[in-house]
Amino acid sequence: MNAAVRTPVPGSLSQAAFEQRLRDAIMDAASLLNAKLLPVSVRSAALNRALAAGLPQMRDDLWRYADLKFLGSAPWAPVPCAQDPARWLDAARAQLPERLPDFERLVFVNGRHAAALSDALVPIDAALAPLVPERTRHERFGWLNDAFATDVARLSVTGQRRLELVFMATPVDVPQALHPRAELAVQTGGRLTLVERHCGSAGDNSLINVAVQLHLGAGAHCQHLREQSLAAEAQLLDTLQVALDADAQYELTLLQLGARSARSSQRISLYGAGSGARIHAVAVARGARTLDHSLLVDHLAPATSNSQVLRGIARDRAHVAFRSRVEVAAGAAGAASEQSLKGLLGGSGEVDLRPQLEIHTDQVRASHGATTGALDENMRFYLLSRGLDPETARGVLEWSFLEDAVCRIGDAQLRRAAEKSLLASVGSAVAREALQ
Amino acid sequence: MSPVLSIRDLHVKVSGREVLRGIDLDVAAGEVHAIMGPNGSGKSSLSHVLAGKPGYEITAGTVSYLGRDLFALPAEERAREGLFLGFQYPVEIPGVNNTYLLRAALNAVRRHRGQGEIDAYDFLEVVRAKARQMKMDESFLTRGVNEGFSGGEKKRNEILQMLVLEPKLAILDESDSGLDIDALKVVADGINSLRSPERSLLLVTHYQRLLDHVRPDKVHVLAQGRILRSGGPELALELEQRGYDWLLETAA
Repeated sequence: MNAAVRTPVPGSLSQAAFEQRLRDAIMDAASLLNAKLLPVSVRSAALNRALAAGLPQMRDDLWRYADLKFLGSAPWAPVPCAQDPARWLDAARAQLPERLPDFERLVFVNGRHAAALSDALVPIDAALAPLVPERTRHERFGWLNDAFATDVARLSVTGQRRLELVFMATPVDVPQALHPRAELAVQTGGRLTLVERHCGSAGDNSLINVAVQLHLGAGAHCQHLREQSLAAEAQLLDTLQVALDADAQYELTLLQLGARSARSSQRISLYGAGSGARIHAVAVARGARTLDHSLLVDHLAPATSNSQVLRGIARDRAHVAFRSRVEVAAGAAGAASEQSLKGLLGGSGEVDLRPQLEIHTDQVRASHGATTGALDENMRFYLLSRGLDPETARGVLEWSFLEDAVCRIGDAQLRRAAEKSLLASVGSAVAREALQ
Repeated sequence: MSPVLSIRDLHVKVSGREVLRGIDLDVAAGEVHAIMGPNGSGKSSLSHVLAGKPGYEITAGTVSYLGRDLFALPAEERAREGLFLGFQYPVEIPGVNNTYLLRAALNAVRRHRGQGEIDAYDFLEVVRAKARQMKMDESFLTRGVNEGFSGGEKKRNEILQMLVLEPKLAILDESDSGLDIDALKVVADGINSLRSPERSLLLVTHYQRLLDHVRPDKVHVLAQGRILRSGGPELALELEQRGYDWLLETAA
């Protein structure tokens, strides 16, 4: 298709301008792009794919609810190394989340490994080849992470491991991009408990473009908690790709709590027989935020399973969208899929829920449901009749709504960590106190 | 002495339909009143209106509670002023710990009275003791509010909340419905344990059987949105024997 006839995303950015910005960014960033991290051939191939894919189209069902207006002014070139690293570190240290006991911690500040804040853990396992998954237009911003990433958490997990990755953003001098990146391979039979946190802010008009790729070997288990609690002005693009070999089990919990605009594109490939994924996601948006999610689950092998509990709250004028598409391939007999999507509205917020199912075999058990509504008046009155003020009642009911997803986290420590983060985002101080 | 609750010519509509058509009622401190009536008579509407449930339109009349205009207070303030509604159908609030709700409710009352928050340890002692009184296993305290409770367990939980909050006026909306004999006894004992000269009770019930255990001072028959007759405990027995129809016929 000719670029000139496409309808670009809202905002002033034309296709040609987007291409020009990317080319300029590569020139600006050339000296920052470590070829040991990702070979030049990989980076340039990724850039070319991104250029060919162009900007998402408004009509594209995959992107229709994302607020990408900021791409008109967002930079792509990564933040250069700090001239004054101590300033970054001090800023990061001041807002580091509390440590989780028994977890190894790796901290990245503005896209770079911060050894001073991390455990003596080398972020790149030298024996490992880069893990660069096949991407489609759905994961298109992942290509730009491939092209621009300045550092990576590239680890191989054997046996049991508990790992916390913290990606901090701290204010930088001019608006620039951060490209946080993780590549994790859980080897056959390995067990990884992973906490991935994104917090802070690089300042107005900066861009955070995350790419996380996971591979689970045969029989491997991974419990993954992703917490996005970026500052209110942050602009986020996020790409997660997970592939599962035979009998591997993956549990994903996404807490989407911060940022002004966030778009998360997640793809889970169940290519090994008997593999399964459980996905819990909560998104809490107020003000004029847009939190958009697109989840693709591919059942590619027999007896694969996935279950999803997705919950979104949109208050004020905020917008939360969940699109969740499950595809069951012809060879995936015996697949099981459950999708439960719910939205809770407050003010003039908007929640869009789109469960989708495409099945190419007869032997499938699949269910899906999507409901959106305001707070239940009977529940609300019950709490008021017990003396709780309306704001506390709302916080308590929002908690109840979200807890439905979070209570399913298998690992108790992970569940508590998730609940603690959620508490900070519901209702009033009284509600928090009531729920603790 | 002025009554705790004084209802004068109360008219209420729900979705345009008049459900209460001129109620007059006085409840003095320490008194137990039973409001009986057939289904659809307006019993639950009266409970809900007094507790401040949205959706009821007060078209005429006044209600004073402890000398104040009840309708000037939002629902949460009525609760903090000691008005308690035991629900006929208590809602489930999954994921919100039963004990946490109790503590939040009690602290809301205490803050309102200018008292400090209750010590967490003292609170647990109180709640455990009350739960034992209601013959509820301690595991109920750590479960979600009414989450997965049977009908009878929910009713007991309502009475447990009442015991912890120690209201000045408790309105119990069919707290006896759906209970087996043993549970009815436990619920009745719980209610009786709160009887005192300072506390008033309004028992809303369809059947007489709760009144075998909780002896009312006065019984009122509510039908078609009006109180058709008031009397002593013997009126409840008469209703048990004769049903409601003779009263309805008299009224017509």
